[in-house]
Amino acid sequence: MTPRQATSGTDSTDSTGGAGRVAGVDAPGGAEPAAAGPARPGRPARLPGLLRAVLRRLVGAVAVMFGAATLAFAALQLIPGDPVATLLGPATTTSPEVRQMIRHQLGYDQPVAVQYLHYLGGLLRGDLGQSYQLQRPVTDLIAEQLGPTVQLALSAVLLALLLAVLSAVATAGRPPALRALTSVWELIAVSTPSYWLGLVLLTAFSFQLHLFPVAGADGVAALVLPAVTLALPLAGTLAQVLREGLEAALGQPFAVTVRARGVGRATLVARHALRHAAVPLVTLTGWLTGSLLGGTVLVESVFGRPGVGSLVLSAVNSRDVPVVIGVVLLSALLFVVISAVVDLLYTVLDPRLDPRLGSR
Amino acid sequence: MRVFRPGLARVLASAVAGPLLLAGCGGQGGATAVAGKPVAGGTLTYAVDTEPVSWDPHVSTQDLTAELQRQVLDSLVSEDAEGKFHPWLATSWEAAPDLKSFTFHLRKDVKFQDGTPFDGTAVKANFDSIVAKQTKSQYAASLLGSYTGTEVLDPYTVRVDFGTPSAPFLQAASTTYLGFYSPKALAGDTSKLGQGGPADVGTGPFKFVSYSKGQEAVFEKNPDYDWAPATAAHTGPAHLDKIVVRFLPDASVRVGALNSGQVQVAKAVPPQNVAAVKANPAVKLLGQSEPGGNYNLWLNGSLAPLDDQRVRQAVQRGIDLDLDVKTVEFGQFPRAWSPISATTPGYDKALENSWPYDQNLSNQLLDQAGWTARDAEGYRTKDGHRLSLQWPQLSANATQQNRDILGQAIQADLKKIGVEVVRPSLDVGAYSTLVYGGKANIVDLSWTRFEPDVLWQFLNSADAPAKGGINATFLPDQQLDDLTNQGRATLDPTVRQQVYQKAQARAIDLAVVVPVYTPVALTGVSTKVGGLGYDSDTWLDFYDAWRTP
Repeated sequence: MTPRQATSGTDSTDSTGGAGRVAGVDAPGGAEPAAAGPARPGRPARLPGLLRAVLRRLVGAVAVMFGAATLAFAALQLIPGDPVATLLGPATTTSPEVRQMIRHQLGYDQPVAVQYLHYLGGLLRGDLGQSYQLQRPVTDLIAEQLGPTVQLALSAVLLALLLAVLSAVATAGRPPALRALTSVWELIAVSTPSYWLGLVLLTAFSFQLHLFPVAGADGVAALVLPAVTLALPLAGTLAQVLREGLEAALGQPFAVTVRARGVGRATLVARHALRHAAVPLVTLTGWLTGSLLGGTVLVESVFGRPGVGSLVLSAVNSRDVPVVIGVVLLSALLFVVISAVVDLLYTVLDPRLDPRLGSR
Repeated sequence: MRVFRPGLARVLASAVAGPLLLAGCGGQGGATAVAGKPVAGGTLTYAVDTEPVSWDPHVSTQDLTAELQRQVLDSLVSEDAEGKFHPWLATSWEAAPDLKSFTFHLRKDVKFQDGTPFDGTAVKANFDSIVAKQTKSQYAASLLGSYTGTEVLDPYTVRVDFGTPSAPFLQAASTTYLGFYSPKALAGDTSKLGQGGPADVGTGPFKFVSYSKGQEAVFEKNPDYDWAPATAAHTGPAHLDKIVVRFLPDASVRVGALNSGQVQVAKAVPPQNVAAVKANPAVKLLGQSEPGGNYNLWLNGSLAPLDDQRVRQAVQRGIDLDLDVKTVEFGQFPRAWSPISATTPGYDKALENSWPYDQNLSNQLLDQAGWTARDAEGYRTKDGHRLSLQWPQLSANATQQNRDILGQAIQADLKKIGVEVVRPSLDVGAYSTLVYGGKANIVDLSWTRFEPDVLWQFLNSADAPAKGGINATFLPDQQLDDLTNQGRATLDPTVRQQVYQKAQARAIDLAVVVPVYTPVALTGVSTKVGGLGYDSDTWLDFYDAWRTP
């Protein structure tokens, strides 16, 4: 048995020194995973396998990005409407000569195949082109709007996790009445439109109580309400998943064994069960990212915050093709990175899934 | 992605405000009167509903761009609420008898914010840049119309030349759209001007300090400013040190921020929130009817079934506009009778009540036009075709001034006379292609401009969409062409009044337009703010404004 190492977030320093022994006791129970130890001689060589895995990932990532880019291009070709008319807006007085000039400048007078190749060529050079509406490089626009959105999304996720863990730990395996009550608030949180929630929070905490400023990206105070708005519906979903996972874990044989040795419920939940319950939570990460991306659009608009959400909203409304494609590619990249991180997290949470350890 | 769209509930849920018609409160200044003298210094925060797509008024058509950049860019002349012109960067001017050229004598003591002196070459550089193809001007170039060039007669005298008579030019020259950038700012790549911020250098009372997209724009006082227009209430630098413009697209958030004192001025208070703003003693409401084109429905006369004048007339007379506008807009916007608003010079008062709601007449007209059969749903048919009109809505601003709900009321009224109205919701690309390609039956539009020449834009066949214009009637009419051309060829107010009145009456008679309501600019202002008022275009001018701590 390798000594236990602090690898997962729920494991802090080993204060009792008994964790290793506990794990040893649990092993016959066959359910509690041990943390991945250092590689031992006699195992298959790590590097080639790792390299292969990384290469496979990279090829997959490129394929996904290429697919996303092509789909975005195709979609924008297929939607009706003249791109130059789009660019100029609904009621403008622009001479046909100028319209023709714009068409030529953007290469719209060329065959679709040529446009597509140009577009791919630009992407390979890391050039996402110029925003039609704002006349600036898309990469610059996204780069300067990314910060506030990442800040908002991360705060919201952390807050949602905190709320979910508190709610789930407090109610898992408790009397049905309490659970039902918590389920009700979680359901309400899940089904509340973030737009409406944002307005309610603003009315109460900003307009009536003057606790937080209405908007802006300056300072922590301005981040509180938008983050809560985004976090509450997430917390509702996460709490339900976590509680199910916790209850499943607490029903496992090892839980009985641990409790039988006189370990308290809180310790059991915090030290053992949470790690089990976290596996389905990680599975949800993809969904979580998607809902965050969608949520930021509305929340940034309500709170008048800068960010990718408000950028994409105005870009979609004015059909600013290069910006839309830029954000689509960014989202695809995000999903690729996140799925890689998720796979990695699985192996941390459950070493039996480590591909280097051979077949499962 | 589904963007949340509040529907009828939005209006029904708001408390119904009593009918209240705001009188226009004149042009410059004096609109918000805080007792006492102007206070120097301080920051004023202004919450607006949209964000300029382009900050360059030489390029953009947006009212907001013109309003905000008014703080930075000055114009040759300034227009008062009566439509009279006063000196600004030009001390005096003469128009040639044929109105094909205008000579301006410029002030000699004006400096751009970068130290460059303002002179004739700066005027020429700006006008030439506006009409240059690579500027891709969406509006300003059309205000210069048949511009052929600017002649710098001496450093402080310029002559602006046109190919055809251009009476509306003085009004155009008073707007931000024809305001002046420093020639240094125009040198090189002018596309950066649209990005806002310090690159936008003018002669105005405020400097454009910074712009953070999605969040705010900041303007700071220009301490050297000493060439205010004759229409302003004071001279010298502005009272305010700083203006911060916040972008808050959601109306309830703007109103909440105003009522809680987080912003001092809130633009575009929706009609249903007027009562809430009025209930707050710390806030006042500024209201002024917008000049220019009302919110109108333009009927496409080139496309069946509206190519039949009887059908157009049936639509015009078959909508209970009095009731619909009053209900949906909470009595805040006056119902319109002419394609231009009552605050526009040349308005024809005789049109009021001249074409009232008349369902019976509409039914008779449709019967005469041969739409006599009915289908299972009660819509009229002819030769097996349903009497159906396509009226697309632009998804991006469908909810503006409750126009989506007003559209539903109009749909319901027309259903009563057997006319179906279909309202596909389209994004800007599909919308522009359909509408300006002449493939839609109805187009709705309002257009702010303190000048009856908007009638030329709406009705003259030279402004057809195929030529890059906005005439959505698609029905060339010799009489309308002649009248709107004559209005451009004279500065005589009596003659202009006559021809524009005739043009309005002709448009109503032809039934190419159904005027709906006159938009009223509704701005909530903290009682701590003084000296803030609308200019003749109903844009806020912050030069005379101040705030008490």
